[in-house]
Amino acid sequence: MSVDGNPAALHLDRLAPDDGEITDADRYPTLTEHGRRMLDFLLQHPHAPLYRNRSGNRLTAEEVEQVRAFEREVQSAAAGWRPGETPPWLDGFVDRCFAETPFYRRYGTRPRDFTDLPTISRADLGRDVAAFVPDGVPTERLINFRTSGTTGHPMLLASLPPVAASYLAFYKRALRRFGVELTHGRGEVGVVLVGCQRTCFTYVSVTPAMDESGLAKINLHPNDWRDPADRARYLDALGPEIYTGDPLSFAALAELPLATRPRALISTSMALQPPLRARLEERFGCPVLDLYSMNEAGPVAVFDPAEDGHVLLQHRMYVEILDDAGRPVPPGERGEVTLTGGFNPCLPLLRYRTGDQAALRVVAGREPVLLGLEGRPPVRFRTARGEWLNNIEVTHALRPFALAQWTLHQSADGALRFRFRGDAVRVDAIADTLRGMFGADRPIDIGEDDFEEGKVVQYTSDLPEARP
Amino acid sequence: MEREGPVLETLTRRLAETPEDFLAEPRIGAAGRVRTAAVVGDLLRALGAAATPGDLQRFSGADARADRNRLSVTLVLCWLLADEWFVRAAPPAGLLLPLLGAQAAELADQSPAGKFVTDPDRREELARVALTRLGYRPAGETKAQAQDRLTTLSSAERARVLRAARAAEQRAREIREALIKKAAEESADKWGRE
Repeated sequence: MSVDGNPAALHLDRLAPDDGEITDADRYPTLTEHGRRMLDFLLQHPHAPLYRNRSGNRLTAEEVEQVRAFEREVQSAAAGWRPGETPPWLDGFVDRCFAETPFYRRYGTRPRDFTDLPTISRADLGRDVAAFVPDGVPTERLINFRTSGTTGHPMLLASLPPVAASYLAFYKRALRRFGVELTHGRGEVGVVLVGCQRTCFTYVSVTPAMDESGLAKINLHPNDWRDPADRARYLDALGPEIYTGDPLSFAALAELPLATRPRALISTSMALQPPLRARLEERFGCPVLDLYSMNEAGPVAVFDPAEDGHVLLQHRMYVEILDDAGRPVPPGERGEVTLTGGFNPCLPLLRYRTGDQAALRVVAGREPVLLGLEGRPPVRFRTARGEWLNNIEVTHALRPFALAQWTLHQSADGALRFRFRGDAVRVDAIADTLRGMFGADRPIDIGEDDFEEGKVVQYTSDLPEARP
Repeated sequence: MEREGPVLETLTRRLAETPEDFLAEPRIGAAGRVRTAAVVGDLLRALGAAATPGDLQRFSGADARADRNRLSVTLVLCWLLADEWFVRAAPPAGLLLPLLGAQAAELADQSPAGKFVTDPDRREELARVALTRLGYRPAGETKAQAQDRLTTLSSAERARVLRAARAAEQRAREIREALIKKAAEESADKWGRE
């Protein structure tokens, strides 16, 4: 798609404003005529969806340069550290946390050993995120990101426009592992963020660091379209270089009769199972990246089949694996993924326990790799024989099935309820697998679910001993 | 403060030379190295004072983030009170335990423990607080002189802490207001969503 040379008047006023105080000059401070044409094209296309919201890059010219410089740094810097050591930047980072960040200042004097530092969790961020904003950060440029709160701790996180824009640097780094260099620029659409939920925040924008290539965040749910057939027509007209989304929205995207091909799909938000990834790769004829990313830390790692794990992406992020008591586990053992560092100056993380489980492989001269990454704390399920199965065993057992998403819940009486979404899934085969694990006489209720509410907690149990 | 104690400089010098063991991380849960309760117990025995397990319970700590600084101050105080002069003076447990407990917590609210070793004013404050709580004044000072100097040191520090707390609260309020003002679900573009 190219819109250059096809100037049209801006019709941004088609959209209902979300905030009376925010103007387009705030949303797109560096917008040129090319950018205006792109926005207009995205909004006015005859097959465009009903965009329900507005957002912008908010980057000043100085910040655009800052984002470009950071991108160069990300592309050239090595992520990682030597086995048994900590990265060289860590010491200064901890010093700055103690000197400048109110929450960490309350700890008192900095301990000599890094592993003596207290850990923090999502609950700490949720309690008062203002205490994590260092002294020097100017409040007038602050923006916020809301998290969904599926773990019981909804949060409003502080950030800055260049931080949001810098996600692109890590996406490029991840894409480079798969041989993809982004080239779309002026007059082209760089990325479409796809969702597929009953309600979804949708808008259009441009990316200044990519010469104002277009950005559209859309919802594939039919409610957002005048005609469901418009979805494929619109996306073909845009021809984005990249789609980002989650396994559910990609499963919906795969159903559309698209004629155009992206250069890559980037999946975030929830685990992407290998069969679905393979199916998407075949369908779209491009690499499908499974990104481990969170609002608190941005893109942390990307799954690389050659490494059989998620390779770390950030050069100023130190990852530890801790046991329940907060002690580092021996190398190679599983535990809780714990983060220090990051690229958000409003949220310096010092031993942030993510709630996600993995092992870590650190080899000199190579990027560290998270092995067997599992979101959320582990949940155990009891079999009819009274044995306990960790949720990772359930995940492994279900790997052969092309499931986009599933949940498993065990009631206090031991009965199991399994809900899934996925195409070409053999329910009887799943039932056989689950009965094989839990026992033939264990009641198992299996059914499909469209998971339209978005993120859900995958493994849950009413049994008090379920959390090991 | 009725009785004359040691020369103040001997105590501040001792604080400046606090050994690594007393500056190490207090053990809280599975983390840290030094068991503060055990150190307090040893100190009390060395000073001829008795402590029950209940007396020592508060020196274990439960939450590193809330307890590590006060326990670190307790450890620095333990080093100070292990001085030969205090061993000879043998203050009673009824005075030692409040000094090592509540008083240490109060001091920890105002300063990182390390400052009581590295900062000359905080060293002097800690030495004077310890003497005062045990009923002594520095050698060569009248009761009024000792009281004046401690008040000057403590009130200046309290005023500084109060100013800093007010400034921190004001900034936190500004941050919260700025975030709420921009409470649209997303206020700048990202290429992906978590």
